[in-house]
Amino acid sequence: MKLRSKFFLGDSLIIFISLIFIIFAFKTFWHFETGSVVQVNFQGKTYGNFSLFQNKEMSLIGKEGESIIEIKEGRVRFARSPCKNQYCVQQGWIHFTGQMLICIPNEVSIEVLGKTKAYDSLNY
Amino acid sequence: MTRSIIKIKTTLLDHQIAQLSAIAIGLSLIESVLPSPMPGVKPGIANIITLYAMYRFNFRTAIWVSILRVFATSLILGQFLSPTFMLSLAGSLLSLLTLYFSIKLPSRFFSPMGLSVLSSFAHITGQLLLVRLWLIPHASIYYLIPVYSAAALIFGLINGWITYRLLKHHNSI
Repeated sequence: MKLRSKFFLGDSLIIFISLIFIIFAFKTFWHFETGSVVQVNFQGKTYGNFSLFQNKEMSLIGKEGESIIEIKEGRVRFARSPCKNQYCVQQGWIHFTGQMLICIPNEVSIEVLGKTKAYDSLNY
Repeated sequence: MTRSIIKIKTTLLDHQIAQLSAIAIGLSLIESVLPSPMPGVKPGIANIITLYAMYRFNFRTAIWVSILRVFATSLILGQFLSPTFMLSLAGSLLSLLTLYFSIKLPSRFFSPMGLSVLSSFAHITGQLLLVRLWLIPHASIYYLIPVYSAAALIFGLINGWITYRLLKHHNSI
């Protein structure tokens, strides 16, 4: 097989299309949307949905004790938790859709929701 | 007792396939010990040999080299019939299919560089399809598409360039 041309028009085209595809893929799949609502699940049931655009503190009394969820400036966090590990508290504030904080000992989980439901590994 | 000697008649092409496969297997093994930032993000340097075989000889040689490489490497690494092997096979098959069509493109405009990029994209497409359909049937793997496609472009270009230089060195193009 002989290749004659030094300037490979087709190659440039392939590279150009791939670049467009990569940019498109980054924009589509790595799109993080700021959530507007937080869903609080408590003891296996939905406790309620709360807007993120308010300042609010919620107290949930579970088996282990009192969990305090704080909503402030469009973000949400576990302010205090009775559990041993404190993983939920240490993860800090969340505000993107699909982000989740879970406190298994006290059976509390919070998830940020938006217009569309983001993918997450927990639903799998 | 008479000793029976089994002799298989081999052609020159068989020897060439064997040689090229041996190089491809070696490259695959080297690659398998290289650390990877993410599972699946690999340079795929054995693809150089597949491309080289296709340009230097013919498409049939490329199929042989590629498939032999997948089977032999998995046997050596103890991954035969494991998910790793299946992913590798799926990627290679789709990559070969793409090469089968793209080699028909006019060589005036398309060099091994372009074909290498196409084939590495096909490789990652095959793998992601298998992951989506079989291993992790969940939409969350779409998060990985941007990273994998960026890696496919970069490594495809590098491999293509190496193939191009090799072919030029051997006066095949």
